[in-house]
Amino acid sequence: MITALMIAIIVLADAAADVFLTKGMRQIGEVTSFSPRELFAVAARALSNRHVLASMLFMAMHLTGFLIVLSWADLSFVFPATAMVYVVGTLAAKFVLGETISAHRWAGTMLVCLGVGLVSIP
Amino acid sequence: MRTRTEQTEIIALLGIAIVSQAIGNVLLSQGMKSISEASPLVWSDWGVIFLRVLDTPSIPFGVGFLIIFFVLFATTLSRADLSFVLPAISSEVIVNVACANYFLQETVSATRWLGVVLISIGVVLVVRSSPKTFGIEREPVVAWEKVDR
Repeated sequence: MITALMIAIIVLADAAADVFLTKGMRQIGEVTSFSPRELFAVAARALSNRHVLASMLFMAMHLTGFLIVLSWADLSFVFPATAMVYVVGTLAAKFVLGETISAHRWAGTMLVCLGVGLVSIP
Repeated sequence: MRTRTEQTEIIALLGIAIVSQAIGNVLLSQGMKSISEASPLVWSDWGVIFLRVLDTPSIPFGVGFLIIFFVLFATTLSRADLSFVLPAISSEVIVNVACANYFLQETVSATRWLGVVLISIGVVLVVRSSPKTFGIEREPVVAWEKVDR
């Protein structure tokens, strides 16, 4: 039960990190140049953006949760279970970020989720 | 709908991000294995482990490649859907399996190769869709900074 709860927290934290990072990067605007000057300017704006900072917090939560659950559960169980993030992330993209998910994209996402699960089985 | 050039650029950025992450992971894996093979790790001596990590060139290089990955991941999220980038970036798993098999001589089972095939089909399906369906507010950065504070 505690393992299932931890995996739910890990998946939700990972999806939340992706959603906040996306929100933050959209506020910052499209990054089209890779000149060092432009990259430093974007990095400075990113580090002062609340959504990007929240994303980092959720990334830290995800990593901590992952390490904690690995102290008693097998990686071969934890890794495939966390592949659910592709589905949760896509649902969040639809309902939180307002993206349009076509049938093709859904089918592709489900195959990716299943594939990552299979790859993680030893 | 984006132009074909923009779509190609986004896919190229994701491609470089995926390769950077795979190289970073292989370097980190090689570095950590070489450290633990040299002498067993005692986790209570974290200071000693930290110094050994810094003294193993492949680890700082690996971290450098992972930083490149993160910059490119964030960049593509500024230009494309999360629901496009998230499954597309999973091709990292395919590159990781191939790298583990080729560079680290790890055995890859038939189940894993089947997983790789499913991911490949899934990524092709996702990449064929338009990378951007959201509407970015094209406000100048100065205006955003005022709003966000």
